[in-house]
Amino acid sequence: MVASDTKQKKNILDLFIEGARRGFTIGTTSLLPNVIMAFVIIRVLDVTGLLHLIGVVCAPVMALWGLPGEAATVLVTALLSMGGSIGVAMSLFTAGILDPAQLTALVPAIYLMGNPVQNVGRCLGISGVNTKHYGVLIGICVVNSLLSIWAMRLIMMFL
Amino acid sequence: MQDQSHEEVKKQDKSPNIHVGWQGYLAFLFALMLFSGIFSSADNWLQMFDFNVLNGNFGTLADGKDLDFRGTGGHGARDGFLFAMELIPAVILALGIVNVVDGLGGLKAAQKLMTPILKPLLGLPGVTALASIANMQSTDAAAGMVKELYDRGEITDKERSILIAYQTSASAFITNYFSSGAAVFSFIVAPIIIPLIVMFVFKIIGGNLMRIYLKMFYKEDTNGGKANGSI
Repeated sequence: MVASDTKQKKNILDLFIEGARRGFTIGTTSLLPNVIMAFVIIRVLDVTGLLHLIGVVCAPVMALWGLPGEAATVLVTALLSMGGSIGVAMSLFTAGILDPAQLTALVPAIYLMGNPVQNVGRCLGISGVNTKHYGVLIGICVVNSLLSIWAMRLIMMFL
Repeated sequence: MQDQSHEEVKKQDKSPNIHVGWQGYLAFLFALMLFSGIFSSADNWLQMFDFNVLNGNFGTLADGKDLDFRGTGGHGARDGFLFAMELIPAVILALGIVNVVDGLGGLKAAQKLMTPILKPLLGLPGVTALASIANMQSTDAAAGMVKELYDRGEITDKERSILIAYQTSASAFITNYFSSGAAVFSFIVAPIIIPLIVMFVFKIIGGNLMRIYLKMFYKEDTNGGKANGSI
């Protein structure tokens, strides 16, 4: 009861509205542009035939995780942007390329990959961690991401 | 959300003993129930404790046909726009709920429950707990705290590497999952809380992969900082 004494003054409704407002801002200024970008990228890949090509080329590898070849685009996008990657995953899901179970299995992988391209500056740069470990640190993100898909599949077998 | 948690982190830095009231634990329990999906298939009043029940559904536009708000067969930016409109309510609802839980002290309760778990799992000194927990909500604030710990000689270079391996994979995963991730909440076939747990477990695994790597290839220079030998 001593806790959150400063915040206690706001009632639950105010707190909800405050968070919801932030949700609206994130939804319209981050999620929406990301989803549109992802849909356009997938559209470009689709009309150029590249999506089909990626699907065919990556199919044998992605099959190890029980995913279609096109799912490789989700993981590659996650290297650059997590929001964008969620958008790509949703776009493939709505196109019927990913089924609900495959979409579910990919979700932790997207965040575990965690846009290392940005994180080199943010997480690694700010903390001042030894630069000779950068490669290993990014490698750990990739390994975590790939292992998590199997873990999710395993967990979902018991649900 | 990130700015706010940054302030909070600073506040806690001055007083490491977090006080959590009963509402905090209650709010945390409430959040666990809501996002765990345990009441998703309840057919009585208990279903009010499920996120996807609260999020609801759009009505269909044409009677008797399987058409919804967005229609079928669209593609490109226009389809993406309408689709994003469908996703936004989940984000608004999720962040509203998270803010209520946070305001009642629920996230502090989570921190308090998490601190004793983290230490043995990563083999790092207790001083790193705050940075590890801050990382669940903010990438940059937590990375800054790691640098400070090293600069003050509280952790060695190796310990910093392990801590960063834990932090960089799925950094700020609670914030990110409940914002951009909320978009998939109504489509995933596992309880909403499962991916969250999987991410946390793999963060711990990532830290330990770094630990193994350092043990194999960097046997020398183990004595660096003050807080050595804390494992």
